[in-house]
Amino acid sequence: MHDLDALKAEAKRLLIEGVVDMVIGFKAGDTPLHPQPAFFKTAEEVDQLVYNALCQNNLATYLTRFPKTLKIGMLVRGCENRSVNALVFEGQHPRESLYLIGVPCEGIIDWRKIVEQTGEEVVSVIEQSDNTVLVEAKSGYYTLEKDSLLHESCARCIHPNPVSADIVIGELLPEGDPALARKQVAEFAELSLQERHAWFRQEAERCIRCYACREACPMCYCEECFVDHICPRWTESGTTPAGMQGWHIVRAFHQTGRCTSCGACERACPMDIKMTYLTEKLNDDMRRKYNFEVGLDATTPPPFSTITLDDKSRFVV
Amino acid sequence: MNLILKKDQLNHLLDAWRKDYEVYAPQSLQNYTHFLPLQDGFELAFDKAHNTRIPPKALFLPTSEALLKFTKFGGYEKVPLETAPRIIFGIRPCDAHAMTMLDTVFEQERYTDPHWQARRDATVLVGLGCHVPCHIGFCTTVGSGPFNHAGLDAILTDLGEIFLVETLTEKGERLFTQLETASEEQSIQASKLQQDAAASMPIAFETEGLKEKLDQNFDSPYWEEVSRSCLGCGVCTFLCPTCFCFDIVDEAQRGERVRNWDTCMFRTYSLEASGHNPRPSRVERTRQRLNHKYSYWVDQINQIGCTGCGRCVRYCPVGLDIRAMLRKAHQLPSEVAHV
Repeated sequence: MHDLDALKAEAKRLLIEGVVDMVIGFKAGDTPLHPQPAFFKTAEEVDQLVYNALCQNNLATYLTRFPKTLKIGMLVRGCENRSVNALVFEGQHPRESLYLIGVPCEGIIDWRKIVEQTGEEVVSVIEQSDNTVLVEAKSGYYTLEKDSLLHESCARCIHPNPVSADIVIGELLPEGDPALARKQVAEFAELSLQERHAWFRQEAERCIRCYACREACPMCYCEECFVDHICPRWTESGTTPAGMQGWHIVRAFHQTGRCTSCGACERACPMDIKMTYLTEKLNDDMRRKYNFEVGLDATTPPPFSTITLDDKSRFVV
Repeated sequence: MNLILKKDQLNHLLDAWRKDYEVYAPQSLQNYTHFLPLQDGFELAFDKAHNTRIPPKALFLPTSEALLKFTKFGGYEKVPLETAPRIIFGIRPCDAHAMTMLDTVFEQERYTDPHWQARRDATVLVGLGCHVPCHIGFCTTVGSGPFNHAGLDAILTDLGEIFLVETLTEKGERLFTQLETASEEQSIQASKLQQDAAASMPIAFETEGLKEKLDQNFDSPYWEEVSRSCLGCGVCTFLCPTCFCFDIVDEAQRGERVRNWDTCMFRTYSLEASGHNPRPSRVERTRQRLNHKYSYWVDQINQIGCTGCGRCVRYCPVGLDIRAMLRKAHQLPSEVAHV
């Protein structure tokens, strides 16, 4: 459970004392299932601040939209904090212009899983202390197990706590089980080549190329994405198999050593396409081969951002 | 004419149609429904969702399609047009209404799109009215409705054990020649159900004077405010039954000129070859999306370019709700001082 009053008080203090120019958080949405990212510039506006398990966006995706001189306060959960660290390392915003209000995260609820059980007409969603969620819908009241509603990336989260926040509001949670986090990767690896190919095609080829995954991802901040390049053309433009596979595989590769496993890409996808099985594989490789996890601090260079003169591959130097 | 179709005869009828037509109907695909051609042993998925995730416009304007093939040496050949007869069964009135709006784009007197026209001419639209309207949809607000006839060749009303079939065009009549005529009571029952369904839908926002408000507030700070959390993805427009923008690309390696869906929400949509972009940020792009539907389309065809299906509201990854955006727009001042 979250101490909303304490979050609001801290956000207000930051704005009143001029520590930051703006606080990025969430506000109530127009439907109870969809709280919206919000940008508070005054203490009065902070009264609208909302924080609950339906806040499904990774707020770090907004960081690269603002001038580096802007002092930004941001609500950060474990994954958001790690995304911010990765962005700071990549020079996207100076850490000293940021004030991170950390919130230990109990996981994000997938609103689609609620609607499946209650129907679309949801009046309110209340998180209860016994790890259940009380949903009031037109079709009746429902008490649902929160664990059954969690988004997959949250159910296997290893680091739910903020790692470098300026303040943490709420009790720190136990770390997740790395074996559980590895399960998806291990299961996928057990499939035959043909089965893996079929799975990849079945997911990638439902794509409509709306790029919600790209826009929701904090690490996809390129001014010009490779798919928008005309010369040279890196991948086919349309929804041909080659075009869709090209987008999904190259998007994943660009995340090597950068993805924080937040799952914002899958939550944003309008076609329910699975994508984290690719990025999690890369994260797993990073962990095993280089003992590296993204964003645990903002100073350790990711292996693929490091060049040493004795590199075995001579092409880089 | 009103006819009666018993529900237990529905699959039999669909199978009979399959002899002469390719029949598309909503079927389960992953966690959503999709218009797919019926195969032997098909299972319809009307219970799962009101609307298919991707609107049926995709059956007329595919996400990608080759327009012509070319070679390195200057030769080219046309891609044959699809003209096999098709039935789209179970299209909702909002999606069918949208087809009539898209006709005004693709079948203009001077510029007719042959691909669009060939597919439209070959297709019969059999609608299924929404006797329990969806919660997020707002069709009645924008001049459509849960039993709107626009664009349909026939419409079905669910009366429990039976469907009442209203044939609306000759194309529609030809499909339902073997059915019994409905009794007067059945017609009255259906008509009451249809009226009640429409009446049960609240008005989502005021449309009277909305266009004027949008026109007068082109430079309002409102646009910055409502676009702040927009991710700039294409979900709202790609899932929209009335959005039709496309981009034409030469896939040189394959030797194909391809037409792909495009959207005003993308940065590259309005990017010019010089590097100038007249809609440089999400502010201008959001304004374009709303103004196109609620102002420019009114100028062009005297109709709001939205049929209230609700997909953009449901699937926006950041919970942006066009209904709330328009409610707010209606509160804007009527006259803005021009500097």
